[in-house]
Amino acid sequence: MGAAHSASAEVRELEGKTGFSSEQIEQLHRRFKQLSGDQPTIRKENFNNVPDLELNPIRSKIVRAFFDNRNLRKGPSGLADEINFEDFLTIMSYFRPIDTTMGEEQVELSRKEKLRFLFHMYDSDSDGRITLEEYRNVVEELLSGNPHIEKESARSIADGAMMEAASVCVGQMEPDQVYEGITFEDFLKIWQGIDIETKMHVRFLNMETIALCH
Amino acid sequence: MEGADLAGKLLSPWLVLVLGLILLPSALGVNLGVSEIYLKVLVKTLQWATIRIEKGGRKESILNSASVGIIERDESPMEKGLSGLRGRDFELSDVFYFSKKGLEAIVEDEVTQRFSSEELVSWNLLTRTNINFHYISLRLTTVWVLGVLVRYCILLPLRVTLAFIGISLLVVGTTLVGQLPDSSLRNRLSELVHLTCCRICVRAFSGTIHYHNKQYRPQKGGICVANHTSPIDVLILTTDGCYTMVGQVHGGLLGIMQRAMVKSCPHVWFERSEMKDRHLVTKRLKEHIADKKKLPILIFPEGTCINNTSVMMFKKGSFEIGGTIHPVAIKYNPQFGDAFWNSSKYSMVSHLLRMMTSWAIVCDVWYLPPMTREEGEDAVQFANRVKSAIAIQGGLTELPWDGGLKRAKVKDTFKEEQQKNYSKMIVGNGSLNAKSD
Repeated sequence: MGAAHSASAEVRELEGKTGFSSEQIEQLHRRFKQLSGDQPTIRKENFNNVPDLELNPIRSKIVRAFFDNRNLRKGPSGLADEINFEDFLTIMSYFRPIDTTMGEEQVELSRKEKLRFLFHMYDSDSDGRITLEEYRNVVEELLSGNPHIEKESARSIADGAMMEAASVCVGQMEPDQVYEGITFEDFLKIWQGIDIETKMHVRFLNMETIALCH
Repeated sequence: MEGADLAGKLLSPWLVLVLGLILLPSALGVNLGVSEIYLKVLVKTLQWATIRIEKGGRKESILNSASVGIIERDESPMEKGLSGLRGRDFELSDVFYFSKKGLEAIVEDEVTQRFSSEELVSWNLLTRTNINFHYISLRLTTVWVLGVLVRYCILLPLRVTLAFIGISLLVVGTTLVGQLPDSSLRNRLSELVHLTCCRICVRAFSGTIHYHNKQYRPQKGGICVANHTSPIDVLILTTDGCYTMVGQVHGGLLGIMQRAMVKSCPHVWFERSEMKDRHLVTKRLKEHIADKKKLPILIFPEGTCINNTSVMMFKKGSFEIGGTIHPVAIKYNPQFGDAFWNSSKYSMVSHLLRMMTSWAIVCDVWYLPPMTREEGEDAVQFANRVKSAIAIQGGLTELPWDGGLKRAKVKDTFKEEQQKNYSKMIVGNGSLNAKSD
């Protein structure tokens, strides 16, 4: 980072917005530059350079989540074409561990944010509900690598799971009541009381600068 | 005339010095100890510089070790990661796990970081290795400027001259030796020429090499495999013994050298078109090692240059030929100069020039005991066994990834393997779910 002074003001601002420390921000900035090829913004194509990511079955949803306007807090729907470093950090901050020393309200808020991120991953048409179609879509993607699993089995798995969700959220349904889809409140209900914190955070290391002699 | 006179007067003592101090000892294999003194001085200077940087106090100026990384990855296998939340809607929880894995891969992936130079923990007075270059103190900057002067004005011309002499001697020498009829004298002379020229070239980089376990040096009729970091790996190994080299025919200066070398010693050079035909390649190599009098073949099974912090997948082709494999581990000391050739960033010539303007090339070479393919072991398992041995000896991490990922994308077959594993787990559960309904 060339001119040290203006950069550190920016870094401090990012620190405040996203909660990362300044060393972590510098490291992430280097990673950002590596992914973007030294450009100021990243596009979807840039994520093709990460071999580890190729093995992930929901790769396309993860990449999409980076450009989702709802996650970037830029709008209720739609996808951005490219994201800059601040957007990159915003998405990363969803995966920061929840700081349990904060008040209960804050903890609840962070938890909600994480679940909302996941909700957006399922709700691809941004209508606020996870419909049966969208759910099936996710299951199919998760199972996409295995040629032996037919579409039918994928569907039945999705249908079964959806029914379970319906029973949790709505209770007993009338015979001709149609379950519209899982809303965000229903989603929260499903996960109430279950500890998702350990599953949904990435342990960012505290970069304590180590003084070393050769 | 005066100018020419003056030039002659300046050059001749210098040439005499070069001859006496470098050429003769190289031919005789004797070490005068000049490099050792140079390195000792260098190490002391770098230690002083590190202390000054620490005293400077600014925390940002100290680099963090790249191997620590920025995140602590969750290395638990997929089964463990996915279980736990399984009582409930299993797909929902699995998405948690995969998005976490995905994010870890985006923040830091193990593979692409091997294709860029290693970051150093303490600065070695070369701006190219320090990403967070800050001004610390006047004294440090002066030392750095002095360093630049020494490297570019004193060391570089000397090294370029040496390289020039080395290469021309190689071409001339091997062509001359090639004129002799086939005999043991010719082989010995050819070895002598190769050894001398390689030693001169290594001195052109101020290279200091420590050989360990010389008793396991590759024997005739065997195959030598090593990890690959830089095009000068070949030079480093050839200073201690002659090998038959295998590779593609190039154009330009390298092509001239290749054609000259093959006149005196039967190196195996392939045309580009022949390289694609694996059977042809294997056949020629098999013929070569069948002749027990021929020098051992030198192969780099990774196929591309890796940055010397890890060993990537060994291609099985070299291990299908048969014969005894002599593994060799090469580890460079990054403090004195970066030997890794990032072929997407630098051309060969600019890479060599960068190495010539570093402090020195210091490396360790370990010869490992010979290995052969065991009963019931296929080429891939054998390749992995050899790879582990080299990685353990050299202190490098082992990665199952293919070095070809530098340029190509992940093979679909690899992706499908992973996803098959996952879907087996779901379907297992899915059928249970359906039953309980």
